[in-house]
Amino acid sequence: MGSLKSLECEYPIIDSDFQNFCASHGIFSVEDILIHDLYMLVAFAEQQSTSERLKQGITQILSIIDGQHQPWLNGMELLEDAQQNKQVLSTGCEGIDMLLQGGLCVGHLTELVGPSSSGKTQICLKVASGVATRYMGGVVFIDTGNSFSPLRIAHFINQIPDTIFKEVKQNILEKVMSQILCHSVFDIFAMLDVVHQLEYSLRSQVQTGADQVRLLIVDSISSLITPILGGSGSHGRALMISAGFLLKKLAHEHNLAVVVTNHMVGGEGGILKPALGESWKSIPHVRLLLSRDPGSSICHMSILKHSYMASGRAARFMI
Amino acid sequence: MELARLPISASQRGKLISAGYTSLSSLSSLSPSTLAQDLKISDNEALEILRVVSQGSRLDKPDGSHAIVNGAQTAWDMLHEEESLKCITTSCVDLDDILGGGIKCKEVTEIGGVPGIGKTQLGIQLAVNVQIPVYYGGLGGKAIYIDTEGSFMLERALQIAKACIEDMSGNSDFLQKDFQSCQVKAQPKDFLQNIFYFRVCSYTEQIAMINYLDKFISEHKDVNVVIIDSVTFHFRQDFDDLALRTRLLSGMALKLMKLAKKFSLAVVLLNQVTTKHTEGSFQLTLALGDSWSHSCTNRVILYWNGDERYAYIDKSPSLRSASAPYSVTGKGIRTATSKCKRIKIM
Repeated sequence: MGSLKSLECEYPIIDSDFQNFCASHGIFSVEDILIHDLYMLVAFAEQQSTSERLKQGITQILSIIDGQHQPWLNGMELLEDAQQNKQVLSTGCEGIDMLLQGGLCVGHLTELVGPSSSGKTQICLKVASGVATRYMGGVVFIDTGNSFSPLRIAHFINQIPDTIFKEVKQNILEKVMSQILCHSVFDIFAMLDVVHQLEYSLRSQVQTGADQVRLLIVDSISSLITPILGGSGSHGRALMISAGFLLKKLAHEHNLAVVVTNHMVGGEGGILKPALGESWKSIPHVRLLLSRDPGSSICHMSILKHSYMASGRAARFMI
Repeated sequence: MELARLPISASQRGKLISAGYTSLSSLSSLSPSTLAQDLKISDNEALEILRVVSQGSRLDKPDGSHAIVNGAQTAWDMLHEEESLKCITTSCVDLDDILGGGIKCKEVTEIGGVPGIGKTQLGIQLAVNVQIPVYYGGLGGKAIYIDTEGSFMLERALQIAKACIEDMSGNSDFLQKDFQSCQVKAQPKDFLQNIFYFRVCSYTEQIAMINYLDKFISEHKDVNVVIIDSVTFHFRQDFDDLALRTRLLSGMALKLMKLAKKFSLAVVLLNQVTTKHTEGSFQLTLALGDSWSHSCTNRVILYWNGDERYAYIDKSPSLRSASAPYSVTGKGIRTATSKCKRIKIM
């Protein structure tokens, strides 16, 4: 929104006369109007010679502010949106699908938390290959630890039973793997740039059924946030929360499922707890805790938090 | 707040917001001198801020290539790249097998173990093996060795280099290829010349070193491996502020990942072990805590099994968990000659 000066070209009613009047009351930008007492301002405007123009200017700015918020939706519209757009994406792993009653929810931010080597990246790769194959949807994989392995993706795709394919498997591999985009980022600003770019291209591009991006994976978001969290300023925490909100907004408005991974740190009494602290706890819609028995390939997953399911439910499966 | 996503300092952001600039669009068509006057900062600072803003808003505009995300690669392209990536052999057949050919480039591999198991030996072996010429199946590159403990021994490196050259010329008798013209009789001294050695004495030096590596490697493009021995040493003792330690370590890990990806080199981190008290028993785990555990792509743990040395793949996105024996000989790391030659797959 910015200063009143910048609005002058688009809205000629906000001319220098109006700006001088506002400046005399300490108002230089649109935000200042928001926090100012409007009745007093209008009363002062009445006393000026050009009162009509000034009052029109104030009304114009108020309508600009009004245009900034999201439209109101009632319950029926939300229900329709949920039924038509927000399906459930199967993860490709039966154990997880049964635990989550279908799979990942579109429009939700799902967090996978677990100690090192518990299978978080493997599940992300499996879900990516599953969504790209079954739904022919685009997958964007943001990788912070050089752990995206195309060989493993090809392996998972080859594991998917043939009944889903109409064409020969060899042709499918190239088509499916071209749907999965991988981008390496190494700091939080680069990640925010990539997410903003994705948002812009989703908003502006006309998406056909086949190429529509269905899944966004960030592996792992905690390695981007840990270097900036804590310390003297609270800017790190602000960035973490704004990143979380951005991902949730992207998921809701563009009907994506978003998956992020987090690691664990030592808590009181030596018990591990998820990293990123208390402020992050309320941001994801769904939090899943993973663990793996050392030396085996059986993973154990339990629900820490879910929008509509009880927490504490658990499942065991093999990757 | 759109300004939050720009990498500018907190004081600059505060000045921008109090002057009324809260969005990228309000800053896009501004000249540096106007901005400098408004915020009461120097012209250079204003120029820097505007440069960052224009980079940020350029991403929001469409470019010719209709890509969903600029700079992303599809998995199909990466599959072909990954198949053509070379590995650095460890000179031990079993170890190479479980590592899928050797230490992979473009990845950060962490190797940890108890003192005396052979971590530094493995580090020196890798620094020599990366220089094996291409026609012998190696990478023909150079190595950077960052030493924090002072455990790099020159005589041992000479010994390993000599043994490597002997192995190469022994193998070339079996290769029926005509290499007379390009076969230079390599000397152990040449091998040493291609190892860039840095000695680091405190954690600030270590972080400064890693920051400097970007520039150094851009000037020496043939570096193929960076070995840090050991990455824990300066962070273990006398670090009072543990939160600061976590931040520094995770920042360092991201920089190393970025180096590995950007220059397609292998980064090898050697780590020490510590004991962890879990559920009444003491377990040996790698040092630096749980938050360091996600800062490597692959993790290999070296341990004793009776009298033999074993290596175990603890974490990897594409390799199976397996363990393999190896031995440390006068020639360096070599295959273990034991009765049981099968690799134990877990």
